Amino acid sequence: MNARLLTLTSDAKAAWASEQASGRVRINVCLDTSSVAQGAEKTIAAMRAAITARSLNAEVGIVGTWGFCWMEPTVTVRSAAGTRTVLYANVTADRVDEFLQKVVIEGVDIPELALGVVDGLASREIPLLTDHPFMKGQIRRVMENCGRIDPESIDHYIAHQGYEGFGKALEMDAEAIVKEMLDSGLGGRAGGGFPAGRKWDFLRSATTSPRYLVCNADEGDPGAWVNRVLMEGDPHIIIEGMLIAALAAHADEGYIYIRYEYPLAFARMQKAVEQARAKGLIGKDILGTGRDFELIVFLGAGSYVCGEETGLINSIDGYRGMPRIKPPFPAQAGLWNKPTNVNNVESYANAPMILRNGAAWWSSVSTAKEKGTKMFTFSGSVNWAGCVEIPFGPTVREALEQYSGGMREGKIYKGFQPGGPLSGVVSGGLDLTLTLDPYREKGMFLGGGGLVFFDESVCVLDMCMFFVAFCEDESCGRCTTCHGGTQRAVEILRRIQAGGGRDGDIENFNSLVKTLVWSNCFHGQFAMTTIKTALKEFAAEFHEHIVEKRCRAGVCHGLIQYNVRSQTDSQLPAAVAICPTNAIAEERGQFTVNDGLCIRCDACREVAPNAMEVRDRFAARHAAAAAAAGG
Amino acid sequence: MVAEPTVQELRALVAEFQPQKGHVMPALHKVQETYGYISRAAIEAVARQLNTTPALVYGTVSFYSDFRTHKPAATEISWCSGPACRVLGGDRIRDAIQHTLELPLGGQTPDHSVGLHMGQCNGTCSEAPQVWVNGAVVGNLTVSSAISLARELKGQV
Repeated sequence: MNARLLTLTSDAKAAWASEQASGRVRINVCLDTSSVAQGAEKTIAAMRAAITARSLNAEVGIVGTWGFCWMEPTVTVRSAAGTRTVLYANVTADRVDEFLQKVVIEGVDIPELALGVVDGLASREIPLLTDHPFMKGQIRRVMENCGRIDPESIDHYIAHQGYEGFGKALEMDAEAIVKEMLDSGLGGRAGGGFPAGRKWDFLRSATTSPRYLVCNADEGDPGAWVNRVLMEGDPHIIIEGMLIAALAAHADEGYIYIRYEYPLAFARMQKAVEQARAKGLIGKDILGTGRDFELIVFLGAGSYVCGEETGLINSIDGYRGMPRIKPPFPAQAGLWNKPTNVNNVESYANAPMILRNGAAWWSSVSTAKEKGTKMFTFSGSVNWAGCVEIPFGPTVREALEQYSGGMREGKIYKGFQPGGPLSGVVSGGLDLTLTLDPYREKGMFLGGGGLVFFDESVCVLDMCMFFVAFCEDESCGRCTTCHGGTQRAVEILRRIQAGGGRDGDIENFNSLVKTLVWSNCFHGQFAMTTIKTALKEFAAEFHEHIVEKRCRAGVCHGLIQYNVRSQTDSQLPAAVAICPTNAIAEERGQFTVNDGLCIRCDACREVAPNAMEVRDRFAARHAAAAAAAGG
Repeated sequence: MVAEPTVQELRALVAEFQPQKGHVMPALHKVQETYGYISRAAIEAVARQLNTTPALVYGTVSFYSDFRTHKPAATEISWCSGPACRVLGGDRIRDAIQHTLELPLGGQTPDHSVGLHMGQCNGTCSEAPQVWVNGAVVGNLTVSSAISLARELKGQV
């Protein structure tokens, strides 16, 4: 092993050991975007203030997330002796005084806030964290450090086998590194599943230089935040992965392209790169080996198609982020028309442990065709919106029941959407596995790791409108099939939702499905997938909307009507007051809804559920049709 | 945010950036971070510094939804357009906020006090449905609480 790396490692381990032996209670608060949204900064400030004011024998640090993103701020408490660490949830600022009183001054646990024991012995009241239902079946590999180390400390990372995989790679030739990657079977983690080793080999075999590596951290699929968890929780694992790729592919310079919506991830990655540079891991003559590699953290500015690799490359080049026409592929002509390799955050993050522990170890966890573990985030009409790392293979049912806490109260499961706006929707599908093939067979894809569950109160045409309008908004404008086609699809959907569905609309959609696949990039090719899959999976709902003029979910504006149900209900004045368009007005002693003003926002029914009702707009017509059918 | 910059100030601000090095976006970010938006003069200064044309720089600016060519409002509401928010009633919230503020997405009140725009999901989906008010999450909204928030910001309470 490289002598300088050995010194860095032993120094970091010594520093870590002395931190652990501080004799003080160590409180680590998760500080990431999700926990900040739930008040983590206030928690930290309150803790620091109280510790100083009361001269408590405790110190406060920060960590990334454990994945319990719906019950932040999460906090670990390591005992002063360093023998036991407990993870707590929902430690908001108002709880801090009582929290410190118990865990620091009295030295007792708080079972009602505890999620589990991270290190040390379980108690009667607090089981081991690994026995928590949310943690069962999870295998934390890329997320191993998340929640355990300070993401802003390179020493913490190095003390936990950090840069050891890079150290091994330094002693291997490029072909051997590529072989190890190929043997592992690591497939692209953004959803394509293309072997990462093959991609690295393309760049290795390139004939010109300089060569570039790009880390795609543009995670634009709404409902997916796995890359954010990693960048905010353990940024160095990504840098180490890129350093290994640089050795394998003889790359000279790397870019980490982060979306504008992730300012904290951007700051953490920048800090991590600076720290790595200061330690001699990035820059000229890395660790005295004579090798050079520069790494630049790059901030996007809000564009979904920049997640497409050539759109991203154009964006770094300084142009509009319009995807290029392939070929040439990035491996031949990427950044500044030089050979370039683009991988996802999670793909790079797996490389360090493949090098450290070997391909056989790495691929042993999954029984599915896809090897290794995968991070997922779950959200929607469910109780928990969290982040997990599991081997490929569990079913959607397990994702829903075990990792998402089931549906919210009163919500009846309807379906889910994997992989973002281009991927499509599934009706039911609880027995599908979280692997690539079941979705490919449906003409969709599993994607980068986001799954959004929806319930019967969601109208599938409204879901189609959401995703197709997103695709329209984010179309780069190059292909008429895409920018014109998505506009056309939005127009038709809008007309159907307004009650103007007509014969031929389904054919119109099918024709758009067929023409959009001619588009240049994935964005256009898959922009109609939501409608294509919904037409199959939810055919009856399209028929109801277009022919019967009925929206079973009570969402589509032209097919429903709001009405005053009770003139005497005590909450009716509240409904009148909340209406943003003054649509509920009194006339000759009677309150009525002016249908032309009503925007169907449902605020009135929220505040006065017994006074207001939403009705089928064509109820009379439907009743007549039913009577005719019955007679 | 500071006062309207002079051409000299803009040129000095972007003097560190170089042509052909992927500096267009970083330069634009620096301008927006400093002055809150990217003015015509800033586009010309960036183009001059990076040895390219204002047309190309403007092409870049106009492509990305987070580059602004006008001053931000004092209070910026960013409505989360993500799917978790949507399935929990986010679109009704958008409609209600827009009608309360009488603004389209991307609009500003005439006195520049309140602006509304479309935000993208950043994965704080446990707070859905949500908006950001000057970057801070206001979550677990109902339509009625969103209307109350919008009225408050508009000074109507």
